[in-house]
Amino acid sequence: MSGYFRVRYAQDTALLDSRTQKGWFAIFVVALACYPFLANALWLDLANQVLLGVVGAVALMLLTGYAGQISLGHAGLLAAGAFTTGILFKEFAAPVWLTLPASALVGAALGLAFGLPSLRLRGLYLAVSTLALHFIVIHAAAEYETRRGFSTGIVIDSPIYEAWHWYFALLAAAAATVLFSLNLLRSRTGRAWRAIHGREAVAEALGISVPHAKVSAFVISSAITAMAGCLFAYFRGFVSVEAFSLYLTIQYVAMIIIGGMGSILGAILGTVFVVLLPYAIEGAMARLGLAEVLSSVVFAVNYAAFGLAMVLFLVFEPQGLVGIWRRVRNWFVLWPFKQRAVR
Amino acid sequence: MRKLLCAMFAVALPLGAAQAQDAYVLGVSGAMTGPVASNYAPVVEAMKAYLEHVNGRGGINGRPVRVVVLDDQAQPSRAAANVKQLLSQDSALMIINVSLSSTYAPMVAESRRARVPLYFAGAVCPTETYPPADPLQFCSTAFGARLDSQAALAFIKKNAKEDVKLGLAAMAIPISRGEIDYAEGLSKTLGMTPVEKQISPPPAPDYTPFATRLVEAKPNWMWSWAPWVAQVRTFEAMRRLGWQGDYLTWAHLNAEEELERIKDGRFYVIGTNAMLQDNLPIHAEIRAVAAKANLQYPVSYLTEGFVAGLVLEQVLKNTPWPPTPQKVLAAMNSVKVDLKGLRGGPLEWTKDNHFRTRQYYRVWRWDPQGNRIVRAQDWQAIEVKR
Amino acid sequence: MQLAVNILVLAAIYALISCGYVLIYRVSRVLSLAHGELMMLGAYGLYLTASLFDGHPLVAVAAALVLAVLVGVAVYLALMWRMTGESVLAAVLATIALGILLRGAMILAFGTQTQHPLRDLGWSNASLELAGARISTVGLTLIVATLAMYGALFAFLRLSRWGIRMRAAGQHPLLAAQRGIGLHGIYAASWGLATLTGGLAGMLLAADAGLEGTLVTIGLKAFPAALVGGLDSLVGALLGSLAIAAAEVFVIHYVDPLLSEVVPFVVLLAMLIVRPWGLFGTREELDRV
Repeated sequence: MSGYFRVRYAQDTALLDSRTQKGWFAIFVVALACYPFLANALWLDLANQVLLGVVGAVALMLLTGYAGQISLGHAGLLAAGAFTTGILFKEFAAPVWLTLPASALVGAALGLAFGLPSLRLRGLYLAVSTLALHFIVIHAAAEYETRRGFSTGIVIDSPIYEAWHWYFALLAAAAATVLFSLNLLRSRTGRAWRAIHGREAVAEALGISVPHAKVSAFVISSAITAMAGCLFAYFRGFVSVEAFSLYLTIQYVAMIIIGGMGSILGAILGTVFVVLLPYAIEGAMARLGLAEVLSSVVFAVNYAAFGLAMVLFLVFEPQGLVGIWRRVRNWFVLWPFKQRAVR
Repeated sequence: MRKLLCAMFAVALPLGAAQAQDAYVLGVSGAMTGPVASNYAPVVEAMKAYLEHVNGRGGINGRPVRVVVLDDQAQPSRAAANVKQLLSQDSALMIINVSLSSTYAPMVAESRRARVPLYFAGAVCPTETYPPADPLQFCSTAFGARLDSQAALAFIKKNAKEDVKLGLAAMAIPISRGEIDYAEGLSKTLGMTPVEKQISPPPAPDYTPFATRLVEAKPNWMWSWAPWVAQVRTFEAMRRLGWQGDYLTWAHLNAEEELERIKDGRFYVIGTNAMLQDNLPIHAEIRAVAAKANLQYPVSYLTEGFVAGLVLEQVLKNTPWPPTPQKVLAAMNSVKVDLKGLRGGPLEWTKDNHFRTRQYYRVWRWDPQGNRIVRAQDWQAIEVKR
Repeated sequence: MQLAVNILVLAAIYALISCGYVLIYRVSRVLSLAHGELMMLGAYGLYLTASLFDGHPLVAVAAALVLAVLVGVAVYLALMWRMTGESVLAAVLATIALGILLRGAMILAFGTQTQHPLRDLGWSNASLELAGARISTVGLTLIVATLAMYGALFAFLRLSRWGIRMRAAGQHPLLAAQRGIGLHGIYAASWGLATLTGGLAGMLLAADAGLEGTLVTIGLKAFPAALVGGLDSLVGALLGSLAIAAAEVFVIHYVDPLLSEVVPFVVLLAMLIVRPWGLFGTREELDRV
């Protein structure tokens, strides 16, 4: 008899099973730790942006990918976290160990507000209600900015300056978020979310309180998003309402769609793709020698390319990057046997 | 499909940009695309074209100037990333910002960290460039907060034939609202009566409701300081409602074109850049440079960029070779640039004043009889003090 | 009286834009968030034909309208037919992505400058007096065009064969397909019609204000009007636009002009809480579990 056996519950709920998995994971951790010493300033900054994006993307993935509640108000929640930080910093000179939990609280409260419509609405109408709430939050933030006289935004002093300090801080934040999410998804709440995503009537019949599950999804996701907003504020050193437009929401939704819905790995891969795409395009243009010719319009090319990438993924690869990853992995696992496409 | 994606990732690996070590390297982060690009892209293009023209004439101190332009789409995070890239990959001597005010703070933070001068050439000058000036921030952009309202209200006071009942219009962005609030307070000290103030949201489908409120308050003079679209549409809506008064507004890049389009004798624009119709020798030069570089913008949009180009030329001339950011900073701290008539006088920076020592304003309007743009007031100087 | 005129003009703008949302949703159950970009494309179409048919303004306008229909059909055939049957979020995302792609493409093709199609056509926007209130020519055209378009759409949907087929496809696609109605053709036609109305709205707005990037955001502002009235009801779109326009103008006049941005969304939120399917929409399966 061969194979591996699970003889204890701890083994069943562990995140890493076999020795091979643990080995690869250790190598991965070492690679992550060494990265800032090998990368130049640009790539380090890109890594920081990716890590910051991962926090927000994982939160959105929990809400939309697992619990199935469509939310288009992501930018509003990020703005709420950032502005809470900005307001506390500017008015009360609050330090970071106060602003971070405060942002989480504000996010949770807003999550309740964003989540209440979900008890009555589904699908399209829910998305629209979150969109409406987004505009209201942004309006309130803009009012604060103007009435308090910060016409070019609120400047924030960050406790961390160096890029590689930020790298480790953001790595810790992203890792904490991912770990928290993975564990949450294996817990009762996570299973309830998956149930209501599948079929609400059946979930109710099984004894899961659907309103409770929906609201908890919104509250937890919004709290994490608001904390991501707080990190945004410190990372940029600056809070201004113009940065939190609908386009930011679309970028996050693109991250989870391109990454592949229903998978934390998808959220990470999607973030990497969306953050790096503009730089990849500019690199490609430079390589192809088109940089000078299109020097004034290569910028519009970025915009169009983002839309095109999204459309291509939606049409040709609905399972996203995770789908591609799984296919590649299966090819290696099954080699030399071929896998027939099973739909 | 998948191969395409793989290929895209492959070419994204960075290759070291060819470092031209024998050139003055300037880094620009600008809003080249996005909704506000039409205000900033012409500035960057004109500045680049002028510096290419200078290169064609033999460069500065015998060396060429290389301008690296990165698009930040008016987004703060991209602006910060752009600055890092310009400083690390291109070793820029100076960072130039031609973008929306939300990109300021991150770029200021980055430039401070690297101790490289930051030059605002396209958007509103931050108050840190006024005396007492921040050591690293410089600005040459035409409009100046507070000073514009001072000059505008002074013009209105001089030309009003009766007691002024002032109407004010702004757009719901903090900069415009701040300026109009300041103008409201200032008008009271000048003996005017501010009767109505309307603030319209950035994309308003119809300006008539706002104009209705304004017209009902019956102002005889209007002052508006906002992006051009809000200024001109409020004016057009008020005219359509039958209002006959005088409307003064800030001259943006497209002022000259718009005066010709609107053809209203009581629509005034106040600004600091000379208009094409003056036909100065420098205008011929602008036309030639624009034609050679095949710029897609009307020539009247290029003045601001040209001013920036002239300033940069003078600064780099005063920077001895081999250049470092510190030497550039020293040159910027005491420079006097002859703008050849593009503005009312030379642009002068001192250690204390990184805006300019004097701001000159002209006022224009359309003359229906003569069917051309006429000057309603020639260069008036305002001293920029603490 | 002036207030009433202002409300009518604003309502006409919102109504003309929302009938595009309603048409597409009613027929194919897809919410097209690319409508703002399609509006702008229609306006750029007018800009193109105005310079092409210099001196023949009416021909230019007609050509621009035909162009808008063709663009709508092309959009369906290029992209949206693949998204039929996919999940709601995927279809909405596809339209958002399409909007972004179109916006980038328009900047590449036309640049970022403001254009003035009305001037290119050789017409001017005079002010007219109407029962004590003043209205611009373009405003009056908007109201007339909206009413005409709605009237034509009602007649089309109720009386003509294609219109009846469209309604059938919207009510029950499977049954309609079994009956022999070619769904792809119907959907393409609905996209063409929606782009026609959106393009017309874009052209009139560009005639009033000039053609620039902010036109797209106005498309999004009209979205609450469609929802408040009911996403699949044309009557609802008309009345919803009136309601929202009235709310907005009253808030600007009597309360605070700054709130005019959020008023449509506050009304929308209130409607979603009270009656999610809008004033005249069909009640969807919103079973509260």
